[in-house]
Amino acid sequence: MGLLLAGVVALNVTVLRLNLRFDALAQERAQLRAENAELSSKLAAGASSPRTSSLARRKLGLAPADPSTMTYLDLSER
Amino acid sequence: MTARLSNRRIRLLLVFFVLAFLGMFGRAVWLQAVQAQPLDRMARGQHHATIEVPAARGSILDRNGVELAIGKQAITVYANPRHVADPRATAIAAGRALHLDPDRLYVKLADRSRGFVYVARKTDPKRAEALKALDLTGLGFYPEERRAYPQGSVAAHVLGFAGLDNRGLSGLELAHDKTLRGRKGQQTIVRDPFGRTLDVLSAVPPVEGRNVRLTLDNTLQANAQSVLQRTVRQWGAKAASAVVLDPNTGEVLAMASEPGFDANRFPETAEDTTRNRAVTDTYEPGSTLKVVTVAAALSEGLVAPSTPFTLSPNIHVADRVIHEAHRTRTERMTVAEILSRSSNVGTITLAELLGRNRLEAWIERFGFGKKTGVEFPGETSGILPFYWSGSTIGTLPIGHGIAVTPVQMAAAYATVANGGVWLRPHLVTGRPVKRRRVMSKSVSDQLMSMLRDVVIEGTGTEAEVEGYEVAGKTGTAAKPDPRGGYSQSLYVASFVGVVPASAPKLVVLVTVDEPRGAIWGGIVAAPAFQQIAHFALQYLEIPPDALPPR
Repeated sequence: MGLLLAGVVALNVTVLRLNLRFDALAQERAQLRAENAELSSKLAAGASSPRTSSLARRKLGLAPADPSTMTYLDLSER
Repeated sequence: MTARLSNRRIRLLLVFFVLAFLGMFGRAVWLQAVQAQPLDRMARGQHHATIEVPAARGSILDRNGVELAIGKQAITVYANPRHVADPRATAIAAGRALHLDPDRLYVKLADRSRGFVYVARKTDPKRAEALKALDLTGLGFYPEERRAYPQGSVAAHVLGFAGLDNRGLSGLELAHDKTLRGRKGQQTIVRDPFGRTLDVLSAVPPVEGRNVRLTLDNTLQANAQSVLQRTVRQWGAKAASAVVLDPNTGEVLAMASEPGFDANRFPETAEDTTRNRAVTDTYEPGSTLKVVTVAAALSEGLVAPSTPFTLSPNIHVADRVIHEAHRTRTERMTVAEILSRSSNVGTITLAELLGRNRLEAWIERFGFGKKTGVEFPGETSGILPFYWSGSTIGTLPIGHGIAVTPVQMAAAYATVANGGVWLRPHLVTGRPVKRRRVMSKSVSDQLMSMLRDVVIEGTGTEAEVEGYEVAGKTGTAAKPDPRGGYSQSLYVASFVGVVPASAPKLVVLVTVDEPRGAIWGGIVAAPAFQQIAHFALQYLEIPPDALPPR
């Protein structure tokens, strides 16, 4: 009888511990999701076309290529 | 004596214990039976909690998967004024940490008649963390999702805005709110006194919002916006809009309006600026509508491209005399020349051959007078003349007395470009595209040939793109005067073009509202078309169709 009682108590304690762990993990997941969203936002903002072209112009002195200098090779005849 | 005294004490003790046990038993019965339900409710209220599990709002992506609208975590700070020990000190500390006005906060925090007030909704997590570190009593914090537009002004007019409660309020955020929003979940939990979850009694998981992928290309969109910005600045114009369309699929590759704004600052931006002019605004198209009359006359078999007409420089229609814009003497012109040289008299002559009913039917056939179905909230259907006076047959074919949206006009030219099939212009991928044949392929080929001449030797030479054949049409229309008639000084200049003309891949339409200094579509809007088309052809690696001779 005593053993059974001890078993029930041990089981309840384990369930309680697991629930606390579950709660902590849920919070960690929420935190990671938030960080992920923040990183996605930074990535999207960083990769935006106007920003890239503005940086290329200001920092590297680059300019859009003159379309007339572009050459297309027609491989359909080969 | 001693024994009697002892017995008496024992009896007293017995009575005391009996009374004590009776008291305890009575209390137990009171608590367990009589008060059981209210106490159970109270305990549940303290330990059990039903919490909403918010669903993350889906992202809006461009055609290449670049994020245009995403959810970011923010912290909402609230307070229970009844628990705030020192409202003045708390207001100053919170104001400093969250960059808010402490005087306004103080009014909220000092109001002890309320148990809950917002201090700041969806504020920056770092600022909220700094405030939390001060450990002020009466303040609480919880995470919420905040909508962010990482590309700033790119496609801001199209994306619209999602409000504080994460619901779409305008633009595509509103049109696709159901898809983006998902469904909230719910959990019933048992908490310990520290608020930690001890057990989850029941849970309905949230359904996350789904992403919406657009047909827009963020690079083409950004370029179109910057071209419009330069054009508006150059001509001191009031506004401008541009649509870049794939005529073979109906996909909108760019849809720009100027003045622009940062989508993250939507609530503070004037309503007039946030309007997606390409879909919600109408304008009188002027000469760009002439293509409809010519298409109708060819399709009805009334004329051929080479049919000649002798045209005087003006024409009487009922009580009005309509003049040519550039010509002062009588000339002989073919139907092809009527379109390429944008002859008002020639177009009206063709319209008179068609008659009211056929002209009206063809205008509707090209999609004017009804919404295109581009799936943008607030799309307008344009205005067709509801009353035909004697002169309507003279004004309508040259694009006056009718109002169209830029997206309607772009879709009409896409019909000419793709061999005669009208395709529903659309902004979101993965949906069936409505299509219907408007004219035969041979008529659309004839029209394309005429429109090529507009750019080679007609009114649209400024739209020429080196190495490519361009087909297009200029438009210049006086704006209606609110006092009646037409303004003498305010115009809408436009150009709509197809490129490469031999194998159309793009339709680009530019409208410039109230330019100053020059008013003509060929002068004001055609160069903007040229810049947008030039960039798009290079960016999309579309090979030239007009190679220079070797």
